[in-house]
Amino acid sequence: MCGHCGCGEKHEHVHADGTRHSHAHHDDHDHPATLVELQTRILAKNDALAARNRAWFAGREILAVNLVSSPGAGKTTLLERTIRDLQDQHAIGVLEGDQATTLDGDRIRAAGAPVVQVNTGTGCHLEADMVARGLSDLRPPSRSVLFIENVGNLVCPAMFDLGERAKVVILSVTEGEDKPLKYPHMFRAASLMLINKIDLLPHVDFDLARVMANAREVNPEMSALRLSARTGEGMEQWYDWLRRELTAAAEAAFT
Amino acid sequence: MHELALTRDIVAIVCEAAGGRRIHKVTLEVGKMSCVMPEAIEFCFDAVAQGTRAEGARLDIRRTDGEELNVTTMEIEETS
Repeated sequence: MCGHCGCGEKHEHVHADGTRHSHAHHDDHDHPATLVELQTRILAKNDALAARNRAWFAGREILAVNLVSSPGAGKTTLLERTIRDLQDQHAIGVLEGDQATTLDGDRIRAAGAPVVQVNTGTGCHLEADMVARGLSDLRPPSRSVLFIENVGNLVCPAMFDLGERAKVVILSVTEGEDKPLKYPHMFRAASLMLINKIDLLPHVDFDLARVMANAREVNPEMSALRLSARTGEGMEQWYDWLRRELTAAAEAAFT
Repeated sequence: MHELALTRDIVAIVCEAAGGRRIHKVTLEVGKMSCVMPEAIEFCFDAVAQGTRAEGARLDIRRTDGEELNVTTMEIEETS
């Protein structure tokens, strides 16, 4: 007998896979229930907002790049140098995602680019609606480059589409070569891998060939570049990639 | 923890579809390759559902092999 309402009825229902079964009237529902088919993707809301961001970028021919990495891989240093080197040629804006503080935002501002800091609080990643809110503050101009610096984390940011044209994953040589295998979702979602801090290669046991093989195993389509945001070595190839993507983003607006 | 954000979305999806009716049970499909821990969703669900029409609802999570991440069905109170 149901301990809640005192009834002794059996409750019968049909599962999504078509199997019908009955069980004692549970004490977690007092009345017969109606089964409702939903078949809704849990990420549908985020994806819809991401699509809106993407359309917003496309209409303005803005290249939006979602930068992801572990904490300390050098995202902010990479951005600082990129801004200093390219700001005379391209308008650059930054959405800076961190759980707390405006430290990174302050560094970007000092490098000379407009920045909006998006603090995620307890959240470990940026979501499409946070980016939309950030955009309404930042108002990046047409044909500019927008860098979205995600929260330092190789897990969750892989799941949440922000409307970017490309995810760029940064891996520094002070990390392990097995990161692509350990975090396959992120490396599969990325279009480009930047291997940063190559100036430290003589001092660390980092096998470039192995990391490339591991990256190729999880994502054969992903390009890879080696650079040092500190010394500037290899940065020109990164800028070439950005210029190509900027051209492609402008063309994509009309296709 | 991304499961908290996802659980908020789950509760929003079912509450919107329930149209004010009480929700007794929610069935999810969570793929092994989805990057999501079912235990973490279970952990968050009761707290997130509190004060909504999904409060006290049972959560049934079915594991699949791919990247599925869906709310498949729900059981809601019948209209009287």
